[in-house]
Amino acid sequence: MRNTVERLDKPSTYAMSKYKKRRRGPNDDGTGTNRPPSPDLEEKLSSATTLYVGNLSFYTTEEQIHALFSKCGEIKRLVMGLDRFTKTPCGFCFVEYYTHADALDCLKYVGGTKLDERIIRCDLDEGFAEGRQYGRGKSGGQVRDEYREEYDPGRGGYGKKFKEGDAQGDGEFYSDLR
Amino acid sequence: MAEVDHRRQSGGHRHSGNFNHKRKRGREDDDFEHGHPRHRQRHQEPPPGTRIRRSLLEIAEDPLRLPHEVAQHVAKLTADNYEDEYVRDTFSTVALKLVVEQPFKIPYVAGVVLYANEHNADIAKDVVAKAGVHLQEQIDAGNWRDLKLMLRFFACLSQLYETDGILPILDELFNRAVDLQTASPEDTVGPELVKIILFTIPYLLAFGGDSSLRDAVSELLAKTDIVASAPNPLEPLVDPYPEVGSDEEKPMACASTISLLQRQLTDEAANGWPLKCIPRVYDPSLRTTAASGESAAVNGNGSTEPAKHMFPSINIPTPINPGPNPLFPEIYFSLYADQEIQSVPPTTSIEACLIRDVILDTINILDFNRNATARFLNEIDCFWAPDTFVKRATAFDKLRDASPDKPTWKPEDVTIDAIFSQIFQLPMPEHRLVYYHSLITESCKISPGAIAPSLGRAIRFLFRNVDFMDMELAYRFMDWFAHHLSNFEFRWKWAEWIPELGLSDLHPKKAFIIGILEKEIQLSFAKRVRDTLPTEYHALVPQSKENEVPNYKYNSDVTPYAEAGREVLHLLKKKAPETDIQAALNAVHEQARGHGVTDPLVPSTDIYMTAILSIGSKSLSHVLSTIDRCKERLLAVGSQSEMARRQIISSVVEFWAEHPGTAVNIVDKLLNYTIVTPMSVIQWALQDHIDRGRALANSQIYELISITMFKVTNRVRQVVRERNNMALPFEQRQQIDEALPRERQGMRDLFAAIEDAVAGIAAGAQDEMIERYDNGSSEENAIKTWGQRWARVWRRKAAVEEAVVGESAIGALEAAPTPEESAPMVEPEIDDMDQVA
Repeated sequence: MRNTVERLDKPSTYAMSKYKKRRRGPNDDGTGTNRPPSPDLEEKLSSATTLYVGNLSFYTTEEQIHALFSKCGEIKRLVMGLDRFTKTPCGFCFVEYYTHADALDCLKYVGGTKLDERIIRCDLDEGFAEGRQYGRGKSGGQVRDEYREEYDPGRGGYGKKFKEGDAQGDGEFYSDLR
Repeated sequence: MAEVDHRRQSGGHRHSGNFNHKRKRGREDDDFEHGHPRHRQRHQEPPPGTRIRRSLLEIAEDPLRLPHEVAQHVAKLTADNYEDEYVRDTFSTVALKLVVEQPFKIPYVAGVVLYANEHNADIAKDVVAKAGVHLQEQIDAGNWRDLKLMLRFFACLSQLYETDGILPILDELFNRAVDLQTASPEDTVGPELVKIILFTIPYLLAFGGDSSLRDAVSELLAKTDIVASAPNPLEPLVDPYPEVGSDEEKPMACASTISLLQRQLTDEAANGWPLKCIPRVYDPSLRTTAASGESAAVNGNGSTEPAKHMFPSINIPTPINPGPNPLFPEIYFSLYADQEIQSVPPTTSIEACLIRDVILDTINILDFNRNATARFLNEIDCFWAPDTFVKRATAFDKLRDASPDKPTWKPEDVTIDAIFSQIFQLPMPEHRLVYYHSLITESCKISPGAIAPSLGRAIRFLFRNVDFMDMELAYRFMDWFAHHLSNFEFRWKWAEWIPELGLSDLHPKKAFIIGILEKEIQLSFAKRVRDTLPTEYHALVPQSKENEVPNYKYNSDVTPYAEAGREVLHLLKKKAPETDIQAALNAVHEQARGHGVTDPLVPSTDIYMTAILSIGSKSLSHVLSTIDRCKERLLAVGSQSEMARRQIISSVVEFWAEHPGTAVNIVDKLLNYTIVTPMSVIQWALQDHIDRGRALANSQIYELISITMFKVTNRVRQVVRERNNMALPFEQRQQIDEALPRERQGMRDLFAAIEDAVAGIAAGAQDEMIERYDNGSSEENAIKTWGQRWARVWRRKAAVEEAVVGESAIGALEAAPTPEESAPMVEPEIDDMDQVA
């Protein structure tokens, strides 16, 4: 028994499931569903210094993100999520701290609060890699914005309503599960 | 944990196949909020272990059930199933975990144990034994809070013991405190021990209470007075309202918690220890004959009294482990206490300290779930004796009409007061300030209608007295307020501060308003912020702040070296070879010499740096990658000329004049690259650009110095940590130890430079001030006050660092442990929260 109330500084089930989906591959017959997450992911997350941040407005700037997230420690790197065609922000980013403890503080104290008047979502991330800054939806942005039926002025209005997202990629597993 | 879960599941019913979805379960295993096994078959009651665990965890939370009935029920359920190994394990594990994580519930958990003891003596025996082991561990480790909570639990169980119980431990702790105090008047561990004693006494008397115990306690109280009432020499350092150049009375008493507590206990003793707020969950008169029969059987002596138990043997070492973190005196901070209407306990009553203590522990223990913490705070009235508080959400004005025998304490005021006491704790609260911000935010979300008015009164109190507040705390207030408003559509009754807009920018209230708006803009954007403000404020958020990309000053031919400026920008943009750039800069040097400029590197550096900033003006990432590309030249410039190095800072601050937060960020990164040095930042701000002292009223200047000094002090602390890290080879630690004096001296030089600059201003002795002001002008007085405020903050910070990394604080390098001693090394937990700006 570790604690008498749930901890907010754990990776979400999304972060874990994302990994499993990737591992399973297209020909999986489904027998692997009960497999516990691979130890190397858990290990990565247990020292992770990077956070995925979702549900940002397209108009939120690096400076605004900096102003909020530096309340949990000095920021080492900030990578904005971009529409892969227009190279404009598409509503997510990666924030990297110098220490794991800072990243956990951020999960505890900043995740679920507002930035630019939107409730933002934070999740532990195994670390940024080149290519992950781009949205993977057909339109170039995040998949969630293509299926969205309600109007969201901070995220480009109505969803683009493409029939199907193509390759599942970063940013998506987080974003479309809200 | 793993086996416990397994037990719980298999004890419930047998799962077939992979019916139970492992992924979903994994997450919730540790968490009692959702304690139900998810796929339980319908209509089947969960196994007793699960029910006991849930009931214990939720004890006292339901205001509709009588606490003693709930306690009796859990006790009976436990006793009836105590032969089940899982039940035995769960009961003591959950009970003890609650003691150290949810101190609100200690009297309730103790109540369950006392009721259970009526049925089965083994239950209390097991719990006491386990708790004894835990208590000893906390003493050995110097974990003062856990020690306090464990002692409280033991105090609440006083009726269980055959012998003396905890009183001898309290006596022993007091002896250690005296030893420590005798050794050094600045000792802070002794007072901490006395505080623990004093916080234990009320629980001891509420649950023990015969007259001989009272006499013994009175004797102890008489002894603690000398430690508790003596002012600690460090106290003035942590005073939230130091009187700065004014004779006005303090906005609040600012007594130390320990001295208040001593006085309150003495008063309580004089009144026969009513201790009204402590819930008496266990009522021996409710004992059923059947229950006492069972217990008596176990007792074996035929009496109807429940079984008594041995008090575990506890050893208090000499000398006592001072604990992992440096301690400072604690001031009782209250925004609402001792005012005309008692919306919180007055500082003369024991309830003030008792309730505050439990709230603070809850807040600081449960930082890992602010939602749960906010929920507990919203329900504090459940955890204290009935009629301690008025009904939740009672309007403040209604308190006036309350009849004299009715309570007037507003639970919202009591909790908000406690959270603010952490935000305004010096030198630093336990967790990052943003945690306490988020706690206020969550509290507002849970019951906006009840919290908002309390918050409004708090803000007005703080604003009214911001002139007298310690400057670091005034900055925290500003930072919190801007952040808070950014979570609530920037709604505030700005109209009520319009009169303050007419004050000089040097007035602390005006400086405060300017600072908030700047912080709001950083979290949002200028137009949005302006739209939330009455027109009177609009001059503070000018149109020019909406310009996200500043102009390149060399585009105007009025600027000296305009042509060269444009050429360098062009060359940098097209990534021209360094030789071309050098040629362009050489031309500037030539021109500058012609104008008689003594250091031609200064104008050329202005051009070069401003061009970098312009290329990187789109975002922080852009400017960082440009700086990275140009870092060699920037580093070279600094090493050639100190004035050119400071010009780099000037260029940043000038370019981003409308967005000073961005300028601070960029300087922060330049420090990381060592393109600018901490000393150059301090001299730039506090000498070159001090503007005869006026700069001290600018919150961005304070922020700039703060982040600079944080970097330096953090580094020295890291060095000390490595030096003391027993996991490293001794030789390596020796090398670090040899490097430490240089690092520490560097830090001291910087503190000294700040002190020099601001002390001169505080005394009105700064050169430009002498030239400019006739003695006694109001502007001069205002500036002197800023000097005093700065001096106080930085003297404290210097003293705090000395308490952490100074020679006497760290002692001689400890030799490597012999192999048999070297238990697996645990990295010391990083805990530098007390120095963040």
